[in-house]
Amino acid sequence: METQTQVYQRVTVMSVKGRVDSTSAGELETALKKLLDDGKSNLVLDLSGVEFLSSSGLRVLVTTLKAVRKTGGDLRLAQSSQRASDAIGLAGLDVLFKSYGDREAAVASF
Amino acid sequence: MGTAKPPSPPSERPTRQVRRRLKVRNGGASLTGVCDFVEAAASASGFDDRTSHACQLAVCEAVENIIQHGYQADEGEIQVTAQSAPGALTVEIVDRAPAFDPTRYPIDPSATLRDARIGGRGLLMIRRIMDDISYERRGRQNILRLTKNRSFTGA
Repeated sequence: METQTQVYQRVTVMSVKGRVDSTSAGELETALKKLLDDGKSNLVLDLSGVEFLSSSGLRVLVTTLKAVRKTGGDLRLAQSSQRASDAIGLAGLDVLFKSYGDREAAVASF
Repeated sequence: MGTAKPPSPPSERPTRQVRRRLKVRNGGASLTGVCDFVEAAASASGFDDRTSHACQLAVCEAVENIIQHGYQADEGEIQVTAQSAPGALTVEIVDRAPAFDPTRYPIDPSATLRDARIGGRGLLMIRRIMDDISYERRGRQNILRLTKNRSFTGA
């Protein structure tokens, strides 16, 4: 799994690529927690490069969503791959996240 | 000059079986290799990419559950066997963790942010992906059989 972060004035975008399972979910959690510690609470996760997303990875997304909502921010999803989108829907978690077809729309939504 | 043999239609594809063993140590293991071969096995049954990937996801969720909740911090072994037949994939997952019947575990499919753990999502995914799930406790073994015989078209 790889992550890449782009910081805008009001929003921070993290692109996630590769496989997010129990082996790599901790790494994603650490990367997201660092953004929260730096005071970034308006987050967009670009999931276009996600090839595999298990419930371990989904747990990290939900934990982060809770944390940012507590501080008045939000975690929104952008251009999720079919595989990521299927995993989120199968877990019944699609109702928790605002999702956008493209990254620009997700950034502009804040 | 040889003549290329055309691919056999799905009905003529032979049944084949692939088996992988995973060693779990200190509550962790690399899942690569034990789950991803399931996707190839599903393709061999004639399923499309989306369905084949969903099968991999279901098996991965079952294996992650055994590692995290079954063996916990203990050492153990998990054996995954995939059998591909035309239009049907059967995966058998065998472990020696304490008895756990995932077919009887109650799951609330609704999700709210108030749920502290958002637990049970893996089992929900398995139930939504696979067409048949059966569990058997034989001696000290948990035997979970997951069957797919219809295409996956979305949650």
